[in-house]
Amino acid sequence: MTVRAVHVPESAETAAALVAAGGRVMGGGTVVMPLVNNGGAIEPEWVSLRRAGLDAIRVSEGTAGIGAATTLSAIEAHPALGFLRPAVRSIASPAVRNLATVGGNLFVAQPYGDLAVCLLALDATCEIAGPGGLRVAAVADVLTAGIAAGELVQAVQVPLPGGGTWYYHKAMRRRLNSASIVTVAAVAVLASGVVASVRIALGGVAPRPVRAAAAERALVGRPLTHDVLDEAGRAARTDIEPFDDAYASVWYRTRVLPVHLRRAFLGPD
Amino acid sequence: MASKIVSLVVNATEREFIARPGDSLLSALRDSLGLTAAKRGCAQGGCGTCTVRVDGRAVPSCLVAVETIEGGAVQTLEGVAADGELDEVQSSFVDNFATQCGFCTAGMIMAAEALLETNPDPSEADVAEAISGNVCRCTGYRSIVNAILDAARRRATATPSIERVAR
Repeated sequence: MTVRAVHVPESAETAAALVAAGGRVMGGGTVVMPLVNNGGAIEPEWVSLRRAGLDAIRVSEGTAGIGAATTLSAIEAHPALGFLRPAVRSIASPAVRNLATVGGNLFVAQPYGDLAVCLLALDATCEIAGPGGLRVAAVADVLTAGIAAGELVQAVQVPLPGGGTWYYHKAMRRRLNSASIVTVAAVAVLASGVVASVRIALGGVAPRPVRAAAAERALVGRPLTHDVLDEAGRAARTDIEPFDDAYASVWYRTRVLPVHLRRAFLGPD
Repeated sequence: MASKIVSLVVNATEREFIARPGDSLLSALRDSLGLTAAKRGCAQGGCGTCTVRVDGRAVPSCLVAVETIEGGAVQTLEGVAADGELDEVQSSFVDNFATQCGFCTAGMIMAAEALLETNPDPSEADVAEAISGNVCRCTGYRSIVNAILDAARRRATATPSIERVAR
């Protein structure tokens, strides 16, 4: 289908109005432009967020507000978001990260979208503009249910994890620029040597980023030891719906999940 | 579909051209402006051979809808040796035999230029990361990495040119 227009709104309000009128969102273009280049763009009207003023990062009182059109490179460079740097650097290449956006990452197909896995683990929320005004939704709900036609994610609000509570690990075929086989992101708070609370999100092992609820249950009240994490990793096999692709098989992803869940917390063996 | 007149500052010269909706920066450079150093490889952002710099940053030009960067500053390989003399990266690629078939070279050099501007003394790991989106199907990565490291050394010891200081 021929592209009829690429709108380049210069304000968030105009962007939201164009999306409400039926335009589809183009964040950095890293997903949409391959379709456009090959004549396979499924929508005739695209709305680019590049100039819509949705690329600010504001940090206050333990929360980072990140505009949907903020690039992955901008997150990588932001001093208050250093804990996300290893995750961002595990995504694509520097040149692609100069274009790819936070908002776009929420909507890419697995096994991509490692930042969305992080946002799920962090219990982030989305600010969504729609025909009825602004609403707030958990990233978990947006990943599960999507957003309605005519809506636009304008920003994410990210609770910043306390020092030493953030964990991230991604297994991939190459050290750089490769999609996920298993991605693990977690916030774990320990008290008296045992897990007081934990949120674990997994990527690469289901059609969308998923919480590892069974693994979380297996960890609460226990220390983060090799054996306990192995048990939690085996429990996490009930949390996943893995798929075969060119990177790994269902069998392989299921087999190695406990190893990588453990490495997320304890590092390489 | 309504085509638009788009203007960009390409290699320090203001250029105007007509773009159809959804045209990539790569198409504009090659088909409208006749700048063919950036190559059309995969058209998906996966091979890196179309890498150029937009407002200083390396990007795969096939992934940029050109009307979204109206007024932006674009540098292609043609703009690196504007005065006809190869810069440190280019001469280092020649001297280190870092070019085989040449199809990846323009993208590799632009990725290297962006790296060296922000990180003038890169480690080998920094170089590998900087070109991690650039595929060389001759698999000549060893000499490419060596060339970029050598370019950094050359630039560090070169007499600063007036142009570079001004930039």
